[in-house]
Amino acid sequence: MPVAVGAVVVAGFAAAPLLADAGSAGLPDITAQQLVTKVLEAKPVPMSGTVVYTARLGLPDISSLGAVSGTVSPADPINLLSGSSTLRMWTDGAGRSRVSLLGATSEYSVVHDTTQAWTYSSKQDAVTHYTLSAADAAKLKAEQQKHAQTPVPGASELPTPSQAADQALSQAQQYSTVTLDSQTTVAGRGAYQLVVTPKTSGTLVAHIVVTVDAATSTPLRVQVWSTDNAKAPALEVGFTDVSFAKPSDAVLSFSAPPGAKVTEKTIALPQHTDATKPTPSPTAGALPQNVTVSGTGWASVVEVRGVKVSALLSGNAAAAAAAARNLPHPPTAQGQDVVSQFMGGDGTDPSKSGSGLSASTLYDGLTKAVPGGRLLSSALVSVLILDDGRVLAGAVPGTTLQQLAG
Amino acid sequence: MTGLPTGVRGSAPGTPPEGSSVPGAAAPGTGTSAARTTTTATAIRPAAEPAVGGTSAIRTSGLTKRFRSGQVAVDHLDLEVPRGAVFGFLGPNGSGKTTTIRMLLGLVRPTSGQAWLLGEPMPDAAAGVLPRVGALVEGPAFQPYLSGRANLHRLEAVDATADPRTAADRIDAALDRVGLTAAGSKKYRQYSLGMKQRLGLAAAMLRPRELLLLDEPTNGLDPQGTREVRHLIRELSAAGTTVLVSSHLLAEIEQVCTHVGIMSRGRLVLSGARSELTDSRTTRATVTTTATDAPAAARVLTGLGLSDVSVTGDRVDGLLGEVPPDRVSAALVGADVPLLGLDVRRPSLEQVFVELTGEGFDVAR
Amino acid sequence: MSHAEPVVVAPGPAPAPAGAPLDPPSPQRGATGRLVRSELRLVFGRRRNQVLLAGLAMVPLLIGLMIWLTQDTSTRGEGPGFIGRVSQNGLFLVVAALFLCLPFLLPLTVGIASGDSLAGEANAGTLRYLLVVPVARARLLAVKALGALAFVAAAVLAIAVVGLIVGAALFGVHDIALISGGSVPIGNSVLRVAGIVLYVGVSMTGLVAVGLFFSTLTEVPIGAMAATVVTAVVSAVLDTLPALASIHPYLLTHHWLDFAEFLRIAPDSHVLWTGVGVQAAWVAVFGALAWSRFTTADVSS
Repeated sequence: MPVAVGAVVVAGFAAAPLLADAGSAGLPDITAQQLVTKVLEAKPVPMSGTVVYTARLGLPDISSLGAVSGTVSPADPINLLSGSSTLRMWTDGAGRSRVSLLGATSEYSVVHDTTQAWTYSSKQDAVTHYTLSAADAAKLKAEQQKHAQTPVPGASELPTPSQAADQALSQAQQYSTVTLDSQTTVAGRGAYQLVVTPKTSGTLVAHIVVTVDAATSTPLRVQVWSTDNAKAPALEVGFTDVSFAKPSDAVLSFSAPPGAKVTEKTIALPQHTDATKPTPSPTAGALPQNVTVSGTGWASVVEVRGVKVSALLSGNAAAAAAAARNLPHPPTAQGQDVVSQFMGGDGTDPSKSGSGLSASTLYDGLTKAVPGGRLLSSALVSVLILDDGRVLAGAVPGTTLQQLAG
Repeated sequence: MTGLPTGVRGSAPGTPPEGSSVPGAAAPGTGTSAARTTTTATAIRPAAEPAVGGTSAIRTSGLTKRFRSGQVAVDHLDLEVPRGAVFGFLGPNGSGKTTTIRMLLGLVRPTSGQAWLLGEPMPDAAAGVLPRVGALVEGPAFQPYLSGRANLHRLEAVDATADPRTAADRIDAALDRVGLTAAGSKKYRQYSLGMKQRLGLAAAMLRPRELLLLDEPTNGLDPQGTREVRHLIRELSAAGTTVLVSSHLLAEIEQVCTHVGIMSRGRLVLSGARSELTDSRTTRATVTTTATDAPAAARVLTGLGLSDVSVTGDRVDGLLGEVPPDRVSAALVGADVPLLGLDVRRPSLEQVFVELTGEGFDVAR
Repeated sequence: MSHAEPVVVAPGPAPAPAGAPLDPPSPQRGATGRLVRSELRLVFGRRRNQVLLAGLAMVPLLIGLMIWLTQDTSTRGEGPGFIGRVSQNGLFLVVAALFLCLPFLLPLTVGIASGDSLAGEANAGTLRYLLVVPVARARLLAVKALGALAFVAAAVLAIAVVGLIVGAALFGVHDIALISGGSVPIGNSVLRVAGIVLYVGVSMTGLVAVGLFFSTLTEVPIGAMAATVVTAVVSAVLDTLPALASIHPYLLTHHWLDFAEFLRIAPDSHVLWTGVGVQAAWVAVFGALAWSRFTTADVSS
């Protein structure tokens, strides 16, 4: 009897994914170009769902660092660097969205409503309200058009989709081969898989798989595979369940909970907080003077000179802020927020970093000493921080960076 | 076949003695003579298949319990208790009595063999049989923080077949019967050992029973309490209830038993009607005569059918067997042997036990 | 002859005729109800259990008083999870108290209630008397499970009710702030807190089954209780080991904190049902183990 019950229980848990996997067959055949066209053609749609993000970057476990120096809440963006995180997202497809990073009993929410955005950390009970001036809003529009060259779902001001697809594919094919893999199922939906494989062997990226919902042409999952690990993707972000119903207004609106600490911020270079928007490629736009790019395509390496790491880590707010200004900022609001978390919350209390981890603990934990500096090496990206103020980074092995640095 | 004196074992194994009764063929409860046999018919129980549970109050066949430790607590037990009997289930501590009772009640699963209560197989028929069976197993046990009465109410509530409308009355009656009416609302943990034992008896008598299994009911009782228990057993028996009462103290219950079974090392070494066990088997006659007439007296006794006849000076001693004592004196007188004295000693069960096993009764294993 | 044959003397004079056999007993109506009520009286009538309930009820009282006394030197925004919010809203005292009891005090309560259920009766020797009444073993097991569940439910309710009363008295009852930001109206707030109480209660059922199983294994109640609590603790520890991530979703304690779903802007019923499903699986497996063990075990206590 216990054996029978055990069998039923196991079967019950095993059957759930099996059922979810059913119905992957039977999608019409399609070419890679047709798929890219479909994606670009697709209008942004209202959708909501649960996204699981898994990083297997080969970095030291940050939660164990946190256990030493303080508590890291699971709903802390820093945790996106390693392990698995669950997010929930809702979007109406027209500029309003909510993304929540879930902790066991906490949540980090980013709510975006066309010209303003909020972040809310339940752990700190702190709201940050980002707003744009009218001038900035115009700038945002221009910025959007600049990025429209890359295939981005949700970008609406495009030339004809098939043109854009041609352009995107030919651009991609300069350094990569683009193929279609077998049809699959993600979050219970039939989907196509687009595989982008770098032509060079000098990069850590083995290939990237973008899974696209057959019905709505919405990307449902992105996997980045490292050359280090052929068994599991180094980065994976995908829906575990998804719905294309319009989310309720309540979910897409934000009001500060009673008693929460609210910080107002006007952003100098405002951007969408939309997580699906990639950072611009290193070649795009003009580069700051202290930044050079060597190599091409996947094996590109960015070199930044004059970075004072010690000042960044000193805990001195002024020095840190000055040093941080010298960094090429992640130009998204989310990226800025991550930086500001490292820098100490709102910058007024440098003794306490927003993440609960001291920056130097984090720095020492993530990097290891190499001749002339420190090296952060992960499954996808390597960063070499040299004592002379140079920082080299790229999707290449750490040895490549060390050779480049001389 | 060790440990059994030849004189007691009777007829040779495998030889069905004349008039032996086949187990299960008796019709107890009707009082027929089927169960009657003569002493010479001392039976080696045939290894016959039990026909049915039969009409015995208790019946076991080849009942064996081997514990996981390898210890054999009960070893091929063939037990039969006729309806209406007061069965003294005797044996030293550790001889397997309690394990047997636990198997009879379905608490312990036999390694092999079968048991029937009131003709129904156990433990399969427990639901139908046990409401008609009251039991006291290895001492009383109740919730210490409940009163005696509340404890009985609890057992009453657990009994799906008991009539809740009469519960209170039956509980009062049971408490009254064991003399606990006054202490009924006292917490069980405040009870003395004797009161606990009484409450256990009350629980066994919560409703009319056909069979009572009382394991060591006199444990912890003072002599007065022991007398009361004996009285109670007689009363119950007179009302038609079959009683199995176990004890490691023979003397305490010997007098109330109609039947006796003696356990030793997991085996039933003796079982039968008490009167016959003690009358016929080991009753010895000692004749006092003159030293010169002693050999003649010995010949007379042997001729009468006494066994184990021995001469010691002016005394001649022998096992009476079936021979009535008055025939001894008549025969001696008839043979002109001077009869200076005739002493007939009926042994106690304890002596029987010692003779059977060569062990003292209170020996625990 | 492998063993001594008993020497049998057949019965002598016929014993007094037995009384007419009693009618075959048939179950009375309402028997199950009587059995359940009796078990509940036993569980709730026991002094130890009453003290335990009172102790658990003290938790929200103490937290409430502590926050009330220190609210001027505000701990707002500090401390674990919901505690900082209690001073703004008495409803959060219910949540905070349950949250604090979840790692140890509630498992301890479950351990005491379920670990003691059968082992306690075996230890007292009363188990054999219950079984010869008779009561079918499966039926007794079910009633014991019910008793333990009822006690655990009472424990969760005691925390919740005292939390609500103390919270309302000290801090008032307001719309609750969600961990997603924003707040929900009072009616919805109360429903959500009720949902949390219910979910926490259901989260204990798997551990009750585990405790019941341990209780069938031993005659030493304290051993079954300890094993039950240890199971919860070990499960919680395993849940923190990244190397075991693949088994985390099936761990007994993994979904316990998912009660927080009720505090998110759009509670995901899938998450809640998954937690309930995992508990149901533990109940099924350990219930079956307990049944299998208890219906075949020798009762030699």
